Amino acid sequence: MSVPRPSVTVPAPTSTETPFFLASGDRPVYAVYHAARRVRPGASAVVLCSSIGLEQLTCYRNEVLVARALAERGFPVLRYHPRGHGDSSGDFADVTVTSLIEDARAAGAALRARSGTSLLAWLGVRFGALAAAGAVAAEQGAALALWEPVQDPLAYFRAWLRGILFSSVSHGERPSTTVDELLATVVADGMVDVHGYSFHRALLDSTRETSLTGTLGAWSGPALLLQIQQRRSLAPAHDRFAASLRERGAQVATGLVNEEPGWHFLQNPAWESSEIVSQTVEWFDALA
Amino acid sequence: MPWRETPEQLERARAERAIKVPAPDGELFGILTPAAGTPTVPWCAVHLTRPRSHRNRNWIEIARTLAARGITTFRFDYHGTGDSGGEGGYLNPNRPYQSDIGAVIDHLRGLGHQRFVLTGSCFDARTALSAFDHHAARIDGLLFVAAPVTSIDDQQRLLDQGKDWGHMWRALQNPENWRRLRDLDRWRHMANVLGRVAGRGTREDAPVTEGPPLDPLFRRNLDALARSSARALFLYGEDDPEFLGFQIALRELWSGFSDETRARLAVEVWPGIVHGGFTELTRQREIVARALEWLLDLAGHPAGAVHGADRPDPSRSAHHRPEGTWTSA
Repeated sequence: MSVPRPSVTVPAPTSTETPFFLASGDRPVYAVYHAARRVRPGASAVVLCSSIGLEQLTCYRNEVLVARALAERGFPVLRYHPRGHGDSSGDFADVTVTSLIEDARAAGAALRARSGTSLLAWLGVRFGALAAAGAVAAEQGAALALWEPVQDPLAYFRAWLRGILFSSVSHGERPSTTVDELLATVVADGMVDVHGYSFHRALLDSTRETSLTGTLGAWSGPALLLQIQQRRSLAPAHDRFAASLRERGAQVATGLVNEEPGWHFLQNPAWESSEIVSQTVEWFDALA
Repeated sequence: MPWRETPEQLERARAERAIKVPAPDGELFGILTPAAGTPTVPWCAVHLTRPRSHRNRNWIEIARTLAARGITTFRFDYHGTGDSGGEGGYLNPNRPYQSDIGAVIDHLRGLGHQRFVLTGSCFDARTALSAFDHHAARIDGLLFVAAPVTSIDDQQRLLDQGKDWGHMWRALQNPENWRRLRDLDRWRHMANVLGRVAGRGTREDAPVTEGPPLDPLFRRNLDALARSSARALFLYGEDDPEFLGFQIALRELWSGFSDETRARLAVEVWPGIVHGGFTELTRQREIVARALEWLLDLAGHPAGAVHGADRPDPSRSAHHRPEGTWTSA
């Protein structure tokens, strides 16, 4: 069946978008349901799992734009704020990988109920890849798209903490501590300030022995790995991850978005990448 | 310490309603947090912020705290940002989104809210102030945090005037500055700064100038505020680049205000920074605490008191101002 392919850069009307609150762990979780704007038999409904902390904000507009573009092409989409983030309830101090996966599953249930579609697909952004992976693990064959996924949480947190040290250097100061010392402070004191966010021990502890591959369990299905880095080939870590998925029988597509990622800082104007949106939409299009 | 959600705040979170507001440049998505019980004030607090929750959810905490104390609040995404419709673009504080805040006020009036208190920082503060053009009679208060009031170019020039050889030395040690020299404009900027510093000698020799003109829209909006009966708090950090321009406003505009107007339009200047202060937890918590204190004071609540529970304590009135704060009050 041929499906019209509108441009992904044209702003879509918001009349078919419904903001609401769903429940996860007995807490209100803010969500936006994007109803499909055309009938597309066989199209899955897409749950979008955002990243955490500052990245939940810096990647936000790209998530909105991809949700609108997918809805335009017949895919119902649900975006949500994990507990401890945005307009949802809960404390950032209580966010763990487990709570993120619970939220993703609650969002999936809400999307099934709203769309009437039983077939779900998952889109995980950065740390949200772990939430998407934990949710898709129970849905053999469901599609999984990942934007520059965090594969090793500890390495990701170390990069957060390195950001503090870089910030000192950029202010002409010699850093007074090291990444290892900051990690030790999180363990000893329970938290460290990372650019106005508190990095809590609960989150760190929840990721010990956790990897993206492990979180996927025995899942196998169609997958998109979208790398967002200023390089022209797949990074070795992504290459290994894609290979490990193929070994388990997954049909893996990879995409390169060769641009400066915008998740480190809140920017004016907010970060929007038509390349990320178009590559993602084209993959879902081909899948359906 | 970071915010921990209280049972009262959780209860307000459960009461929140997601709302879409029709606006000329795209539908606006917002959240209404209804007051617990009967509202204790005739106004609704509207938080202008980007994104709607702001870094570390500062305005979520403020909204739910106020609502738990009987004050209805509303926060929203501008067109082209967050969940809202429309196209995104560079947000210039001197081109505030007046039509967005106008649409929000009109929509909330349709929901039965007739009076408003507006809050915002930087671009958001300028947008909140711009609402006085057409809605001054309906606004009871304005919390205006660290916004530019000159053109951005003039603000940069003011900032460069204060740079000395010590600044140059520190800048040369910053690898980020070397990386940015790929950009031709950065070379021009560096040459300008170097020329000013070299031509002036030490910082103490810096000439005292009248300064660049204030943004005409800021003048007009401030005039509308001054003519209204609203109270306002202008909060800056003495190291904020934005404070350089605001000092011109103090010199040129505040000096001409009547005693009554100056009493209504309070100015508070903290040591250090406020504009960029949200990126550091201690200063962030001070700003949140001061915002809450000022709003609760405006509502006639004692600072820090739970709704209807405590008596006012005058000794707490300056509780959240850092040591060394200068205030016009």
